[in-house]
Amino acid sequence: MNSLTARLILIMTGTTAWTLGDTIITYTNFIRQIQQPSGVQWDMSVAAVSPTGGTLSALGIEPGGARYELWTVANTSPLTSYLLDTKYVSTYIPGATVAIRTGDSTYVTIPRTRCDQPFWVDVTITGLLTGATNPTASESVNLLHYVQSYGVGGTGVGIDRNQATLLTTASITTNGLKTLTYTLTAIPGTPLTKIRGEERFSVFSIADYQSPSTQLAAQFVQIWPVTDGTITGITAGQIFRAAMPQVTFTLNDLYPSSRTYAQAYKGNPVLGTTGTVVPGSNLVISDTIPSSRVLLVNNYDSIFDSDGVWTMELLTVTPFGTDRLAYLTFTLNRTIEINSGMTTNE
Amino acid sequence: MNTTKFPPWAGIAVLVAMVANSYGEEPPMRDVTTHEQLVSKLRQAQQIDPMKYMPAVTGGDPSKVYQPKDILSESDIIAFQRVATLVPKRAILLIPKNYQDRIAMQPGAKIVGWADFYAANRGWITTVEVSRTQAEGNLALPDDTQKHLSECGNLVVATYMGGPISMLPHKEPKTPDPKTPTATDPKAPKTTGSKTTVTTQPAKP
Repeated sequence: MNSLTARLILIMTGTTAWTLGDTIITYTNFIRQIQQPSGVQWDMSVAAVSPTGGTLSALGIEPGGARYELWTVANTSPLTSYLLDTKYVSTYIPGATVAIRTGDSTYVTIPRTRCDQPFWVDVTITGLLTGATNPTASESVNLLHYVQSYGVGGTGVGIDRNQATLLTTASITTNGLKTLTYTLTAIPGTPLTKIRGEERFSVFSIADYQSPSTQLAAQFVQIWPVTDGTITGITAGQIFRAAMPQVTFTLNDLYPSSRTYAQAYKGNPVLGTTGTVVPGSNLVISDTIPSSRVLLVNNYDSIFDSDGVWTMELLTVTPFGTDRLAYLTFTLNRTIEINSGMTTNE
Repeated sequence: MNTTKFPPWAGIAVLVAMVANSYGEEPPMRDVTTHEQLVSKLRQAQQIDPMKYMPAVTGGDPSKVYQPKDILSESDIIAFQRVATLVPKRAILLIPKNYQDRIAMQPGAKIVGWADFYAANRGWITTVEVSRTQAEGNLALPDDTQKHLSECGNLVVATYMGGPISMLPHKEPKTPDPKTPTATDPKAPKTTGSKTTVTTQPAKP
């Protein structure tokens, strides 16, 4: 048993920096090995390995096995930690991996998506045994689905994950890959467009005389709300005979990876039309959490090249496509007509 | 309101990443999803929950019995000059009085891995390589090692192959029962190590 070593597949090691507002947040990763049943904890010296890849654990495992945890710690105040992945290694306990795929491939640290979007959970089980003499713990594993809301405006910083709600449980008795498709988040809340929280899928071993029921693998996906936005300063149907007024774009819950802008085009609103971007309305977000903004825009008359009915739209482009947040039409009538008469007198 | 400033290429990078999304062609523009649309979608989603078609688990929530504990609650923080690191609790064997204020997070400190932190702080941190048996509390550190550590004046951290490791309290050998063989008896169990005299952190529950 002492000679047993575990090969770790590392998602990422080292330090990653992200910008949150004016603060640069750095994420530093730790791999911790926890011996069973003694509870001795050991930190692997991750500086010795390449940023991605695998390495051998130098600490031999005990009869009860060992659990490996990959954590990332953000230097927020207070510090925030995220359990990115876990693996449990033992003599006959099955192996498991959980991976979550979403429509957002722009951010790799934590799987994330929007509350109106689907996601897919890939659960792979290996090492399950069949036979009358095999230990019970080698014949099946349990899959558990937890949900936890961050609350209104919450970002997940400092939440107590022990408070997550266990939604569904299932027993898995066969090896191989199972893909679970979720068309929508199951996190409770209202309105459904403003849900923010996380869903966790954990695989646990069955308890036996050597070790308790232990988490073999787990992964969570962050769920962020749908953006909403409004255009104020112009009223639908308004007629403008002089310079355009200041317009205000109010944007709430912008997706962490998004570009948002306003455009205008001549004619009545038609979804999918490409117009001219309103100068000063272009906003790019590359962050770890949603954000809200208010944009005040002036001096944009140059985009209107003729009189008539015009449409202004507020759009946001995310990894899930382009959404129209708001739109309105107005009329431009800036041609000066002079009615006059001319007479001659001989 | 926080304002994030990005270089001009940031927008291009985001757009390129979006276009590079591997889920086929970009979907057509649509009006933003409404609560009413999601109510209907949720009703359908609840009926096709994929886990409902798998055998249910009997018994309670195993995570309530055993759940990975937060690494922050299971670690001590060592910080100095706006750089900090985590080590498992019980890995710090000795904290001299003049370094006690370094066992806490400093505001704005950058978190780094143990190897980087130790490399920059060798002047006041001493490590002691221990065996797995010693970490489990089944074997005490040799007396001369303990004496050396207690006199070095540095913060002392237990390591295994260079990584910080928690040291369980030394398990004292049981007092010999008069009925059991004496120490001179060749069948008597041999005890190794001696009682720790190094000032260590008090054992925490």
